[in-house]
Formats: sequence, C-alpha cells, structure tokens
Amino acid sequence: MSAEAAIERRRTRRLTHFLAQNVGLVLALAMLVMAVVLYGAAYWIEQTALPGMFELTSTVNNTMALVLCGMGQAFVVVTRGLDLSVGGVMDLANALAAVHIKDSVGSMVGWSLAILAIGALLGLVNGLLVAVGRLQPILVTLATLSIYQGLAIRVLPQPGGSIPPVYSSVLVNPNWPTALVYVLVVALIWYAFRRSSLGVSIFALGNDEQAARANGIDTVRAQIAAFTLSGLMSAAAGLFLAATATAGDATTGNGFTLSSIVAVVLGGMNLFGGRGSGVGVIAGAFVTTMIVNILFFSNIDPLYQSFYEGLFLVIAVVLGALISRLMRRRSR
Amino acid sequence: MSEGPATASGPTAPAIEGIKLSRAFGGVQALAGASFSARRGEVHALVGENGAGKSTLIKILGGRLRADAGEVRLAGGTVELDSPDAAHRHGVWTVFQELTLLPWMTVAENLLIRREPRGAFRLIDRARMAKEADAVLAGLGIHNIDPRGLVEDLSLAQQQIVEIVRVIVQDPDILLLDEPTSSLGENEVEWLFGLIRDLSSRNKCIIFTSHRWKEITDVADRITIFRNGGELGTFTEIDENRAVTLMTGQQVDALYPERPALEAARPLLEARALNGPGVSGVSLTLRRGEILGVGGLAGHGHRELFFSLFGAAPTTGGEILVNESKVRISNPHDAIGLGIALVPEDRKTEGLILPMSVGTNLTLAILPQLSALGVIRGGHEGRAALNMVGKLKIRTPGLRNPVHQLSGGNQQKVLLARWLLADSHIVLLYDVTRGVDVATKHEIYELMTSLAREGRAVLFYSSDAEELAHLSHRVLVMREGRIAAELAAPGITAEDIVSAAVREATSIVG
Amino acid sequence: MTGKTPFAQFPDRIGLTRSVRRIVYVYLAAIVVFAVGQVVHPGFARLDSIAAILTVASFVGLVAAGQTFVVLIGGIDLSVPWVLNAAAILLVTSSLGQDGRAVYALLLTLGMGAAAGLVNGVIIAYLGVPAVVVTLAMNGIMEGLTLGLSGGMTCDSCASYAPPFVQDAVHGNLFGIPTALILWVVVIAGVSFVLSFTTFGRKTYAIGNNAKASYLAGVNVRLVTMLLYALSGFFAALAGILLVGFGGQASLGMGDPYLFQSIAAVVIGGVYVLGGRGHYLGTAAGAVTLVALVSVLMAMNMPDYGRNIIYGIVILILLLLYGREEKQE
Repeated sequence: MSAEAAIERRRTRRLTHFLAQNVGLVLALAMLVMAVVLYGAAYWIEQTALPGMFELTSTVNNTMALVLCGMGQAFVVVTRGLDLSVGGVMDLANALAAVHIKDSVGSMVGWSLAILAIGALLGLVNGLLVAVGRLQPILVTLATLSIYQGLAIRVLPQPGGSIPPVYSSVLVNPNWPTALVYVLVVALIWYAFRRSSLGVSIFALGNDEQAARANGIDTVRAQIAAFTLSGLMSAAAGLFLAATATAGDATTGNGFTLSSIVAVVLGGMNLFGGRGSGVGVIAGAFVTTMIVNILFFSNIDPLYQSFYEGLFLVIAVVLGALISRLMRRRSR
Repeated sequence: MSEGPATASGPTAPAIEGIKLSRAFGGVQALAGASFSARRGEVHALVGENGAGKSTLIKILGGRLRADAGEVRLAGGTVELDSPDAAHRHGVWTVFQELTLLPWMTVAENLLIRREPRGAFRLIDRARMAKEADAVLAGLGIHNIDPRGLVEDLSLAQQQIVEIVRVIVQDPDILLLDEPTSSLGENEVEWLFGLIRDLSSRNKCIIFTSHRWKEITDVADRITIFRNGGELGTFTEIDENRAVTLMTGQQVDALYPERPALEAARPLLEARALNGPGVSGVSLTLRRGEILGVGGLAGHGHRELFFSLFGAAPTTGGEILVNESKVRISNPHDAIGLGIALVPEDRKTEGLILPMSVGTNLTLAILPQLSALGVIRGGHEGRAALNMVGKLKIRTPGLRNPVHQLSGGNQQKVLLARWLLADSHIVLLYDVTRGVDVATKHEIYELMTSLAREGRAVLFYSSDAEELAHLSHRVLVMREGRIAAELAAPGITAEDIVSAAVREATSIVG
Repeated sequence: MTGKTPFAQFPDRIGLTRSVRRIVYVYLAAIVVFAVGQVVHPGFARLDSIAAILTVASFVGLVAAGQTFVVLIGGIDLSVPWVLNAAAILLVTSSLGQDGRAVYALLLTLGMGAAAGLVNGVIIAYLGVPAVVVTLAMNGIMEGLTLGLSGGMTCDSCASYAPPFVQDAVHGNLFGIPTALILWVVVIAGVSFVLSFTTFGRKTYAIGNNAKASYLAGVNVRLVTMLLYALSGFFAALAGILLVGFGGQASLGMGDPYLFQSIAAVVIGGVYVLGGRGHYLGTAAGAVTLVALVSVLMAMNMPDYGRNIIYGIVILILLLLYGREEKQE
C-alpha cells in the first residue's frame, strides 16, 4: 500500500469518526440549514424578496438570550443534570438591570459585572446544594427557581425600569448584526472549555462518576463549576433580554427554562450526560428562533408559541431516542 | 513451604506490605486482619474464591478504599494511601476489576487523561493527543485499537487492554492487576505476561489475581492464598488440589454434589439459531432433569443469551421452543408465564429489591395469583411466603424484615425461592455463586441438583470453570456470541473449558 | 430474636417504623404550625379558620396525590400547572355554566387531564426520555394550547362560570364539613388503600425501589409507569375542577402555584424523592402543614413574592433533612 493511500485512508477514517461521534452536532447543523431555507422560502412567499440585513440582525438579536442560557444549560446537561433555575436567574438579572443600570459608562460596566457575578453566585448555590449537599439537581433547581423568581419580583414588582439606549445598542444593535460577535465569543468559550482541564473533568463526570473519581478527577468541584457556569451564562442571557426589551420585567425569563432545554435537545446533546457539543446548542437556539419566525409567516397566533416549543421538544426527544436506538442496533 | 510475612526493614524490606488489614461493608467483613507482602522483582499471585477478600485488598493497596484497621508499608515505611493519586505518587498503579474507562470519550482521551499534551493558550492539542496515543499503542504491539474511536465501541477485551496500557505507560514500580485476564483470549494473555515478565526483570513488583490455575503457575513466582477475608499462607510451589482445598476449606470431592442421573427426556427449552445483540446463531437444547453449563470469557454473549431467553433482551432472529412448541417471549412476564426463571448475577441490583421485605421479594412474581380484583389477599400471601422460608431454610427474623438485612447466601435463597413459588420448570442461573461464601455455595449446588432431580431443567453460566466442570451434564463454551464448543460429562475439566474459551479468531495484539 | 414467628400477614410497609414515624412528625408539624399561628394571630386556630385552611389544603392535596404517585417511582410531573389550568378553562367553556352540560363537561375535563398524563407516561415509559423533560414540554404544550384556543382568555365562553351544580358541590357542606374536604378525605382513603393493599401499589413501590429488578421479576414496569402519570394528570384536572368551582371563574395562571406547592407537600410529607418510600398519608399532612405555614406568614403581612421564596426554602430544608442521596460505597 502506498503512503498516499495510507494517508487517504486515515483521513476518511478520521471523517467517519467525526461523523459517528458527533451525530447530534451534525443533525443540529443540518436542522439549522433546513430552518434557514424554510425561513427564506416563507419570507419569499410573503414578501417576494429574500430576507436581508434587517432580518439577520433581528434574528441574531432575538436569539442571543437563548444562545447564552442554552449554553449555560449545556454545561449542566453534560454532567447528567438539569438546571431548572435558568429562568429564575434570568428574571433576577433582568430585573436588576432594569432597576440599576444608568446612563453612564461606570454604571453600565459596573452593574453588568455585578449582575454576572450575582448570576454566578446563584449558580454556585445550586452547585453546592447538589454536589456537597448530595441532592437531586432537578429538585434543588426547582426550589431555587421559586426563590430566584421571588427575589426578582422583590427587585422589580411591576414591569418597568429602563435600559439606557447606548447599552442596548452595544449588546443588540438594531441596525447591524454586531451581536454575531457575541455568538462567536460563545462558540469560542465552548471551544476552549472542551480543551481545558475543567472541560475534561465535567465531561468525565457525565460519562461515569465512579470512573471519573478513579481517574483522580474531583467530581464535586466539576459539578459545582458546571452549575456556576450555568448561573453566569443565564445572568448574561438576562442582560441581553433586558437590552432587547429596553426595559425590565421580572417574569419574562420564566419561559427560558423550557426554551433552554429545547435548544439543548435540538442541539443534539444527550440528556444522559457526557455527550454533546455547545456548537450544536448554538445551532439549536437559532433553530428554535427560526421556527418561531417561520410560524409567524404562517400567520399562527403567537399565543401558541409555548405549544410549539413543547411540541418540538417532544418531537426532538422522541426522534433522538429512536435514532439512538436505531444506531445501537446498527453498531452491534 | 509456607513463609510468614517478612518483617525486615531498610533496603531489604518488601516492596509492599499490608499488615493486619480489615475492611467491612455494611456488616460483612470483606477483609479480616489480612497480612501480605511482595518483593521487588517478583510476580505475586493472589488466589482464593470469589469473595475471599482479594479485590478488597487490591483496592486498599491501590488507594481506592480505606482500610478500617491495619497499615500499608512501602519499602518498610508506613504510608497513607488515601486516594489513587496518593498511590500513584508512590509508584503504585492498579488495573481494577471494574474498568474505569470513560465510555463516550476516545481511546486517546482515556489513555492520556489528565496528562493531555497542551498547545496554544494551554489548551489541549487533540491532534497531538491522537498521535501520542497511536505511538503508545504501536509501541506495545497493539494494532487493532484505533485511538480516535470511542471506548464504548470497543469489545470488553479491547477495553481491558486499554485499561492495562493506561497503567503500563506510567512505568509503575508496583503494579496491581485484579482479574486482568477474565476477558482476554490466549494471545492477549501472552502479551500481558510478556509485559509482566519484562517489568519483573526490571526489578518491579507485580501483584495479580486470577482464577485460571495454568496462568498462575505460568507466571507467578509466589502465590498467596486467601479465604474468608484472611490469608492462609504464601507458597512458592503448590499443587492445584492442595490450593483448592485451602481456598475452599474442604476436599474438592466434598464440595460438589453428585450429578443427578440423566434420562433421555424430552426437551424442555430449545433455542434455534438465536440472533440478537451479542448473540449470533446460538442453538441449544435443554432437557428435563438436565444441568446444562455455559462457559466462556467475560463479554462473549452469555449475559445477552440468558437475557434473551428470558425476554429481557431483544432478539433479531431465530426461535425459542418451550415444551417443543414455538413461543414468543417479548418480556420477562411472558417468560415467567411459560415457567422460565432467571436468577441474575447481581442479586443486589437486578435480583432483589433490597429495601423491601423478605415477603414482598418472595411473592413479587406471583402477585396475580395471590390477589382478587387487584387486592392482595394478605393471608394467602403470608402462607405462601412462610412455606418457602421453611422449605429452603431461609434464615430471617421475619417476613417483614427488609431483605438487605439477610446474609448474601440467604438473599440468594430468597431469589431462588421466588422462582420455586412461581413453579418455574426452566431455571436460568447466571453466575449465582459469585461473592457467596463456601457453605452457601454448597447449599446452592445441592439446590441445583435437587431441582434437576425433581425434573426441572437448569441452564447455568458461571465464571468459575471448576464449578461448570463438576456440576454440568454438558457444557457449552461461548466465544464471540457463538457456541464454540460442546463438552459432555463425564470427563469435563476446567482446563478444557478454559482452553476452548481462549482460542480466538481475531487478535487485538501481535 | 430468630425464634420469633414471622407474621402470617404482611401488607408491605417498607422500613415500617421509620416511615410511620416520619408521617407522625408531619402531623405534629401541622399542629405546631396551627399553635404558632394562634399565638401570633389569635383566632388562627378557630374552627372555621381551620376549615378554611383545610379546604385550601385539599386543592394542594389533590394535585399532590398525583405528584406522590410519580415521585414514588422516582419521577416528577412538571406539567401540573397548565394541565390544571386547562382543566379549569375546559370545564367552564364546555359547560357554559349550564347544569345540563355539567356531567359531560366533568367527564371531558377529567378525560383531558388523564389523557395529557397518559401521553407523558407513554413517552417516559416507552422511549426512556427523562420525566422532567417530557412533563416540562407537556406543560408548554398545554399552556400554548390553552392560550391559543382561548385567544388569551378572550373567547366568549371563557367568561362563563362553573356550572352551579359544581359550585354548590364545592361550597356546600355535609354535617358542617365542607364538601371539598369530604371529597379529599375520600381521595385520601382511596389512594392510601391503593398504595397499601393492591398489586398496583405494591408494584409502584417495587419499581420505585428498583425498576430493573422489578422488571426481571415480571412486573410490567412500562404499564405501571404510564398509568401513574395518567393518574397525575387526572388529579391535576380534578383539582382544576374544584378550584374553578370554588372561585366561580377560570383565569390564566391559576395553576402556577400548584407545581411548587404539590412538590413541597410531597417532600414535607416524607416521600423519598428518589422513589420507593413514603405514603400519601404523609403527603396529605404535608399539604396541610404547607398551607397553614403560608397562611401564618400571610397573617404576619408577608408580601406576595415571599410565598415563592418560602416554597423554595421549605423544599430545600426538607431535602437537606431527609432527601439525601444515599452515600455509595
């Protein structure tokens, strides 16, 4: 066998490995392409034009919050947990932003950092309760969801407050899709995470807790870190939510607990931990938004939004379960 | 030629010593003041029945478990091995019996975990990681494992080899291996022994456990025998019969009851060209009154075969016949209705419902018979359960006590009693004597033969070839999901079973 | 000790003494809360006040009956809020406030609840999807359907009242005891009987303790799981009917508090969150304790948002007290 043939063979083997080991990611990206095509078609039928810069900008701006909290959820899902408090952290971040951020650089930067720190702290509380208190993630985060929602209402009892326009235009510029930069940053965060010791620990924990410990990995620390990251990302999502709405509402984050799980599942992450890609989750977040947009063109009442989100989640998990069952049968 | 544990210190001290080590698990004394020592440059085998305390000892020496009492010394000095990391710092590395690989990570990620090559910004360089792993595997003569593949997709033997390689590349001073060969074919065993001999020639200390006598005598310099959590002595030379007598505490002949006479009876259970995940084209016939043994290396489809006969694993082809008529078994409920019973290997997670009462565990499979309109008839249930407790001499304070309070042997009896209550005629026993003390083992053997004598049929898998050889009328040896050999009594030996099992079609190393 | 005769009869009570003790504690806790309430707010423990609190507790208790069933197998039902809300709205829109249509509307509503639960159960049991995800999705589905079909509660029939028959039944009383309470007592008796004395109850506990071993003992784990989720949906719908009968009209968001309340009641009631241990008798007492506690705090002028915080804290404290995952060797 010639040297070129060996290299060629190795290359195709590498490709098949990548495809086999990233089925979820591949499916998520394929879904994204499909959603974009469908969206373009629906837009064409409605407007006899192709979507342009305005549509791209508004889609990216509207998806940023979901990209961020979906990524936060992903960190926890990798550990085989689930963070139901995502919506509560977003509510609180949103409320704090609307009440405190004033039109000065110091206030904007200072409060943004403070709110991110608070988000991380709320995540840390979840992590400590789960990892040190040895409690079930679902129940812990359900309880803290209730607490964080209560605190958010305490901070901002009625929808209101305001976000300085400068702040909004930095995060979600209405004229240019500058928020794509943030999407890129989130993707880079995932890329670095996946190649860091922390990433190895969190993935190892999700693979098999006992085996991870036998390999000398501090699983308690890994679990706490995953929840803290989730809190941090959710707080960032809350800031984007406030910036998009230019005002605060202590309940708009509620729906994001469901949406973040939809993004994670559409992104091809395995709910039983240890497998999945954050890049897929970003795609999943965009697919979720695009579907809503497509429904909008189909003249469907926006009141049905959570119906469709729930339905897609069910369809995605059911298809996911069937696909993995099929693949298992194949591989044997 | 027994020697006591050495007590010297200084440069002549043993490489590793365990002194009066004890460890209990929920009331069961797994290790009871056992002492042990091994020198540099020697290969030291630990032998004993399942549950004799070897694995517990290895876990303590490897830093995976803490001892309740006793101490560990390295080169004469007492050390605190409170984590695998601590053991590693002292040059002690272990290949544990339960594999510690991460299934959805690649072989390379597993081989190099926590030692990954770093690139820009201290981030892990994946391309280099794969290359390093490639080099490691090739350097050890392994060509059939792709470092970029997921561990999940490897066979059990391949996983075992990755686990071994992971430790070997650390160049351990003291290497502990717990049952490293249970899933390996003969080429892989040779490969491993090559590595072991090389290490010992470089003055390292190797300690391993095995159930295969031939392997032990092939490679071990000294042998320490364990029974009931304590050591019985260390030998440089001992013949197999004497060792077995020491390990079990009785003469070999006394341990196994006589096989019941086998008449030319009609088949009770037949499988024809059964296919499914892990099982390919298995055909077998089990007759009334017969004890049919199934043997082979770990991970070669026995579990899948037993579970598919019981409806708990899917089949993709072939047929099953009960009483010479074709049946459809799609779940255990169907199987139980046809008079089939399964006693799984792990009674704690698959057999019993530990927190629930003895009574509940006994009657769970026959609830419909004990109830009217869905309401359980307490009196009926109590009588049925009580009857079985008496019949099998299950030692329990009462029917309401949670079954986890019972000893391992009595727990196993509760499981068997459940199937006697269900009046099962076909009894599938999957490695039921694992981790059971010798006395109870004997009782289970008696029970097996009496089941056969009553005209029931027993299909039984065991990881202990000795047991298969002594109890079965016939033994089927499985390899890669197929029946590779059939041996018939009289004249089955453990040696025959093992050698039929390790012969292999494809080799991972070489 | 070993000579003791085993009991001839043994309805299975796992960890009998500990469980019973735990349930007794919950009842004691309820009494303590009433006593404290009487101290800080005289008249709190008056008979009519107690009756009012128990009536409110009965709504929580009904939802928590379903929640108990699923928690006993280590599951959870997050679809409770909008199944309840949808049920309340379906009752008024299908009956249009007419007694003549009441029976039809009641059957339709209960059937809807059970069907939603059944769908949850089928996906969880047959496809192995985690219960949290499925029931959260179902909650969204019910929310979207309810909002969409009712046009955000703007439909003509949405303003209808519950049929007078239903309203009277909820508000009425028998020998001075509110009917809602009597219904709850019947449910308590029924659910307790099912759990303690039937094959279904026995299988539920078996699955909760060890699903794999139960399956290998011939228990139809999938069927039981499916039915338990259907029961949870049924009870949520029943609570919705009672609530709308109690308040007269349906509104959006009326189910929201019942998720946290039902789970808090279950946890306070000593049901082990990983399944297999606990009893509805405990949950019922848990519902009373929770509602009484919140009433005391409200009487002390606790602001509205405080309720959310209290539910969360109560759940966390009790989890820390006895919801730990057992330490593995």
